[in-house]
Amino acid sequence: MSDMQIAQKMTARTPARAASARIGGGFVYGLILPVAAALVYEAAFRAGLVQARLLPPPSRIAETLWKLASTGALTTHVVATLLRVGLGFGLGAVAGVMLGALTGSSTLARRLLDPTLQALRAIPSLAWVPLFILWLGIFEPSKIALIAVGCFFPVYLGVMGAIANVDRKIVEVGRAFRLSRLKLARRILLPAILPDTIVALRSGLGLGFMFVVAAEIMGASEGLGYLLVDGQQLGKPDQILAAILCFAVLGKAADWLILVATRPLLSWQDSFARSG
Amino acid sequence: MLSLANLDKVYPNGAHALDNVSLNVEAGEIVALVGGSGCGKTTLLRLVSGLEAPTQGTVSVDGEVISGPHAAVGFVFQEPRLLPWLSVAENIGFGLEHLPASERRDLVEEALLKVGLAGYGSRWPRELSGGQAQRVSIVRALVTRPKVLLMDEPFSALDALTRATLQDHLLALWEASQPTLLLVTHDVEEAAALADRAVVMQPRPGRVFADIPIPLPRPRDRLSPGFVEAKRAVLAALDGSLSQPVGASTKRDSQAPAGSWW
Repeated sequence: MSDMQIAQKMTARTPARAASARIGGGFVYGLILPVAAALVYEAAFRAGLVQARLLPPPSRIAETLWKLASTGALTTHVVATLLRVGLGFGLGAVAGVMLGALTGSSTLARRLLDPTLQALRAIPSLAWVPLFILWLGIFEPSKIALIAVGCFFPVYLGVMGAIANVDRKIVEVGRAFRLSRLKLARRILLPAILPDTIVALRSGLGLGFMFVVAAEIMGASEGLGYLLVDGQQLGKPDQILAAILCFAVLGKAADWLILVATRPLLSWQDSFARSG
Repeated sequence: MLSLANLDKVYPNGAHALDNVSLNVEAGEIVALVGGSGCGKTTLLRLVSGLEAPTQGTVSVDGEVISGPHAAVGFVFQEPRLLPWLSVAENIGFGLEHLPASERRDLVEEALLKVGLAGYGSRWPRELSGGQAQRVSIVRALVTRPKVLLMDEPFSALDALTRATLQDHLLALWEASQPTLLLVTHDVEEAAALADRAVVMQPRPGRVFADIPIPLPRPRDRLSPGFVEAKRAVLAALDGSLSQPVGASTKRDSQAPAGSWW
C-alpha cells in the first residue's frame, strides 16, 4: 500500500471515531440474543405454551425488579454487593500486581515466594471460609477477605507471566539507552506488560463476582447473594432471576468499565481484534 | 578514536566467541565487519556497545574505557526494535528525555525530515514498512549524537532495492555528524558501498583475518571497476577466512557434536 493510501485511510478513520463506533455497534449486536430470547419466552408464556411456576416470564421478573427498586431495597442490595466486590477486588488486585511484579522481576523473589503462592493457589478458595469466619467474624471482613483471595491469584499469575514474557530485545533497547532500573521499569516494562495485566485484572474481577455470591450465600442480611437465598427459601423464582439478571448486568458493566478505561492506553496494539 | 585491545570473549557455556581481537578505528571512519556466521562479529559489536563485557581486553572511545552502555556509543539493532506503544516521534526522541520538550520536538522533526518521514511523527510503528521502521531506528540512535555508531546487520531483513536506498540514506545521515561507524554485515556489496575499510573475520574462535582498505571516493558508482575490484578483494578474503588450515579443521571436527559432520 502506498503512503498516500495509508494517509487517506488514517484520516478517514481516526482512532477515536473508530473506537466509539466499535463500542456502540457492539452494544447493539450484543443485545440481540438476550432480548430475542426474552421476547420468545414471553410470547410462549402469553400463548399458554409454558408453565411459568419455576421459570417466570420476563414481564414478571421486570415487575419484581421494579418493586425492589421502588422500595429502595434493590439499591441497598446492589450497593452492598458492589462494595464487597470493590473492596475485595481492590485488595486482591493490588496485592496480586505487587507480588506478581516482584516475583516476575526478581529471580530470588520468585524462588522464595512462588512455590508457596502456587501451593496456596492449589487450595480451593472456599476452603478458607471457616478459618476466615473464625478469624474475622461473620460480618464484612471475612467476606472481603474471601473475595480478595479469589481475585489475587489470577492477577498475580497474569502479572508475573507478563513480566517474564517481556521481549528481551525490547529490554535491550532500554539498556542501550542507559536507562536506570527504575526508568527501565517505567518506560519499558510497564507499557510492555500492560495488555496482559489488563486481561489479568478482568479475569480477577470476574472471580470477584463469583466469590461475592459464595460469601453472601453463606450468610448475609443484604446483597444480591442474599436475594438469591431469600428467593430460594421463600419460593420466589422471580426474585432469584432478578438477582441473577443484576449480576449479569453488573459483571458485564464492570468488565466494560475496565475495557473502556484502558482502551486509550492500548491503542498502539496491532492485533487481530482491532483490525476488524 | 575507537580502540579495541586484545578482546577475548568466552561465554559461560564454553563457546569461545572472540580470541585476541584488536582493532583501531579513526574518528569518522566507516568500518565494515565482514565474516561468515559464527565468526563473532555480532559479539564484537555487543562488547563495543557495553551490552556485554569482554572476558579479557578493553574497549575505549577517545581513551575512555567502555564498561557499560555509554552515551558516546549508539546501537542500531538488526531488527528496528521500535517500542510499539510509542509513536514514531516518541520513538525517535526516546534517548532525549533529558532535554526540554520543545528542543526535543525540534530535534525529532529535523530527524524525521532527514530520513524522508516528515509527517509520520504521530504514526504508530505498526503502520510503517520494514524500511521505514529501520530508518526510524537509525535516527533514534543518531539523534543523541553519539561519537560511535554501531550497526548490527541493519539492512539484512530488507529487499535488495530498499537496502541500496537505505545505504544511501545512511551515508547522507553519516555526512551530517560523521560519527565513527562500525557496521556488521554479511553482504560484501554493502561493505564495498559504505566502508572505508572492511575487516574480515574468521570463525571458531572469532579472529581478525584480513583488513582491506577501500579507498574509493563517495558517492560510489556500484558499476565502476574500482567498486567491483573492492568487492572481489573482500570476497576473496572472506573465502580465505572460511577455508581453515587442515590442523585447525580436524580439531574443530573432533569437537563438533555427532551428526553435524555436514
